Amino acid sequence: MAKTFKFSLDGAVLEAREGETVLEAAERAGVRIPHYCWHRALGNPGNCRMCIVEVEGAPKPQVSCRLPAREGLVVRSATPAARRAQASALELHLVDHPLDCPVCDQSGECGLQDYYMDIGRYPSAMREDKAHAGKRLPIGPHIMLDQERCIMCTRCTRFTAQVSKSHELGIFGRGHAQVVDVVPGRSLDNPYSGNLADICPVGALTDRDFRFQVRVWYLDETASLCPGCSRGCAIFAHTSTKRPWHNKGRRLARLKPRSNPEVNGHWVCDEGRYGFADFDSDRLGKVMRLKGDAAERPWDAVSDEIAVAWHQVVRNKKAEGLAVVASGALSNEDWQAFKSLFVDALKLSRFLFTPEPDQVGAEDELLRRRDKVPNLAGGMALGFGTRIKSLTWDALAGDIEAGKVWGLYVVDRDPLKVWGEEGRGLLERLDFLVYQGPRKGLTGDLAHFRLPATAWLEEDGHFTNFQGRVQSYRQALAPLGAAKPDWAIFAGLEASWRSGGGL
Amino acid sequence: MSAFNLEQEKVLESWTQRYPASIMGLVEALRQVQQWHRCVTDEDEEYLAGLFAVPRSRIHEVATFFQSFTRKPTGRHRIGICRGLSCSLAGSKEMCSCLEKKLGIKEGETTADGRFSLETMECLGACDQAPALLINDELKGAATEELVAKLVEELK
Amino acid sequence: MSRPDPLLTKHFDETRLHELETFRRLGGYEGLKKALAMGREALMAEMNKSNLRGLGGAGFGAAMKWSTVIPEAKNPGPRYVVVNCDESEPGCFKDRVLVTRSPHALIEGLLIAAYAIDAQRAFIFIRGEYELQHRILQKALDEARAAGLVGEHILGSGFSCAIDLMRGAGAYISGLDTALLETMEGKKAWPRQPPPFPTAAGLMGRPTVVNNVETLSMVPHIVLRGGEWFAKLGTAKSGGTVLFSVSGHVEKPGVYEFPMGTPLREILAAAGGVKGGKRLKAVIPGGVSTPVLTADELDIPMDFEAPRAKGTFLGAGGVIVLDETADMVMVAHNIERFLAHESCGQCTPCRQGSFWHERILERGLSGGGTAQDLATLERAGENITGKVICALGDTVGVVTRALMKKFPEDFKAKFPERRG
Repeated sequence: MAKTFKFSLDGAVLEAREGETVLEAAERAGVRIPHYCWHRALGNPGNCRMCIVEVEGAPKPQVSCRLPAREGLVVRSATPAARRAQASALELHLVDHPLDCPVCDQSGECGLQDYYMDIGRYPSAMREDKAHAGKRLPIGPHIMLDQERCIMCTRCTRFTAQVSKSHELGIFGRGHAQVVDVVPGRSLDNPYSGNLADICPVGALTDRDFRFQVRVWYLDETASLCPGCSRGCAIFAHTSTKRPWHNKGRRLARLKPRSNPEVNGHWVCDEGRYGFADFDSDRLGKVMRLKGDAAERPWDAVSDEIAVAWHQVVRNKKAEGLAVVASGALSNEDWQAFKSLFVDALKLSRFLFTPEPDQVGAEDELLRRRDKVPNLAGGMALGFGTRIKSLTWDALAGDIEAGKVWGLYVVDRDPLKVWGEEGRGLLERLDFLVYQGPRKGLTGDLAHFRLPATAWLEEDGHFTNFQGRVQSYRQALAPLGAAKPDWAIFAGLEASWRSGGGL
Repeated sequence: MSAFNLEQEKVLESWTQRYPASIMGLVEALRQVQQWHRCVTDEDEEYLAGLFAVPRSRIHEVATFFQSFTRKPTGRHRIGICRGLSCSLAGSKEMCSCLEKKLGIKEGETTADGRFSLETMECLGACDQAPALLINDELKGAATEELVAKLVEELK
Repeated sequence: MSRPDPLLTKHFDETRLHELETFRRLGGYEGLKKALAMGREALMAEMNKSNLRGLGGAGFGAAMKWSTVIPEAKNPGPRYVVVNCDESEPGCFKDRVLVTRSPHALIEGLLIAAYAIDAQRAFIFIRGEYELQHRILQKALDEARAAGLVGEHILGSGFSCAIDLMRGAGAYISGLDTALLETMEGKKAWPRQPPPFPTAAGLMGRPTVVNNVETLSMVPHIVLRGGEWFAKLGTAKSGGTVLFSVSGHVEKPGVYEFPMGTPLREILAAAGGVKGGKRLKAVIPGGVSTPVLTADELDIPMDFEAPRAKGTFLGAGGVIVLDETADMVMVAHNIERFLAHESCGQCTPCRQGSFWHERILERGLSGGGTAQDLATLERAGENITGKVICALGDTVGVVTRALMKKFPEDFKAKFPERRG
């Protein structure tokens, strides 16, 4: 059992662990002391001087980020004197800070604004011409730098030194003329650069993707998971539905990391963060029968039609010619219904769910994992990968060519993306092709039945990550058109199957 | 291609061996580079980053922090005018104007022929000989207009 | 009242004092010999009695600093002594003079300090602009090594110590002990925030004593004549003598050695008084970082305690004399501009506050000042002081307010009430 101490903060008794500072202990107890430069994952350089507290018995106020909590310490952070000290540090941060609020993306979530409204409210005494430095410098593919806004907290340089270990950033020069910048000749292009916009307390480092899109106070926040790989980083989805004329009409404004010490710490990778900017693009919203007389159909009608076709197939003992293409994009709920329908009910035997080759990518020691789908583990828990082996794309193509496979049910995957244009010929040979997913993609127009599914932000669900950890994600947006979660579609089909297709 | 010849590389290498930790030789190595090139360039920094096995960002931070190191080449003769309080009281501002006129450049600039550069410096520790000048490595105290004229004449 | 013999400047009329032969002839390195013979415990006993204070400006007890170095037995591995010869405080040049005239005195004191803390390696960090002094030290070290005074088995004893030189590169802040260590480690000179203090973890994480040139030069005298004797030369808490660098509007600028506690008036008189017989207006007593004194405040005894009663301190003894022609707004601007230029930039109140001060004062000097600016300066100064990482930042907030307080008329003239 780790040693703990009791100390007093503004009259309340707080418990601190061995080695904790007053600021850390306060933060853990939910007591907010103003600060910029301390970050749980980046250390406590103590340069912003905001977290000043009065310490009983000490001649001078001290910065609480470097004050070890010890038994019996009496600290005050909210007295008029402590607040004045904090406000005085704030005033010095603001003397040369440009009045950019009207054009600065940080507005609404800015450390300077927030503290000024909270403990500042003093009249400005600054009458000089403000110091100038570089503005709107695109220092990397994802990050814009404004040197004038920088408060020199060093969070960004510490990040590129300690976390991404890419060392692109430094503080160059000395004194009031120093600036944060990339090393000459380099670009801020490490795979985690987006985190810098998160950790920068002000608008010095901002997200280029998010630049000028929508004001943060119009955003809604939902706890979710990134579906970009098998780590399942905890995230917040920030959605914009209040002002549809902002953000180019896109409902997803941005993704931000949600701290989870067991999974992703405080970070997400750029692949995940920026991988879903087209969330609203190319979306399916109508339940379509495209073969024969193409028409939009109601869900139960299509379910019944498909179920009837399957009953015929089973009677003719041709069930083993029906293959199902899926992936680790399915949630646990989806996998459960998937198995119930295709394995237990239909007793199919041909499944393709391997992530190769379109769902694998770069891996590193920090967060990124090779499998670029969130929930292969959820399928594996039900036997997919152990009892039930996956076909390869080559094998499936061969089977179709050889006539062994006459029908394909594709869930949230794009065969033409894998096979290229040659795949078109393969798909056109099929007697039966169902395409289910949120997006049309390349294959959508070839389907006989095209079923719109919700994407991950439009449903509640669970993913099991590579650690075997089951994590939940919450619905952030409304489904589009008639789209339903995959599991609801499977359940509907199973119900139709069990009832004989309504016959 | 290295920014330094073989002999120079050996000298720089020796700075990695001089002190208990290799990195402790960095400031002296940068001083040496400044002396040879009259500035510290991007190539110089890349070389030093490799030599001292630290990120380039560290080298650039050190090279831009200290006044001795410049990004652009200084003149062959680097003239520094002390503007500490005692030297200011003794007329360093007038000394600066005098030099600016003589050299035809403003403080912070280098003559077109690369002969002289002019900069102000903080207290040189020669307050007893105010106003003081630093010409490359040499302290020239009790500077007068005549002394300055003579210097400009003599230094090639 | 007769003054005791000076200690450091005693033989300054010897033109070849910097040479080993002369230095030895005059008793040099006898202190080292005695220290090695008396042993560490006895040595520390004398140091403890001496009241030797840090003479680079901070005034921290030298013996106290040395005694906080954790002994080898409890913390095996190298420990170091670093000499701070980065003298860059405007008004101070005594270290330059000491090293130029008497480099061996420093080497001897350094070796005794190294012996006291069992350091086998020592460094002299010298500001980059002191190139002549660097060469002088190189030569003196060569002489000392050749004579077995530096290196292995010094004077045939079991104590070995190597001494290395390292040059700075033009930053005042390098003169602050932890910033000096950062510079030595090949980084920007950003001061650290103890704990740990350098004597616990200093250079490359090892126990390190950082001492000023003058402080170490005093040590052989303490060894030779005893700590009690040294203490008695000075005042109750500040032992020995101290060097004053006198400059500005004064007849004979130079280095003057006086016992601790000598009134400022006497130091001024030794330097010949105000140049050209003009009227004295102000004196900065210890380098520009120390609050100014008026001409009426010269009776202050100059040690580490008494000047505090007048709101100032001894600092590094840089006495700058200002006559009636000096404008205190110009002085304030000169100092704040210096501090703004030399601010390392690490912490916001100093980095931004120093530049703010500079610009307000500049505006005052060029005719754009108003009375409101004085309130701003007062408030800005109070905002900064005590909120910063190191003493440079504190100075930003303190010096202008002291000048404003003591010379309000100068400020009223440059920052008048404006109509409309």
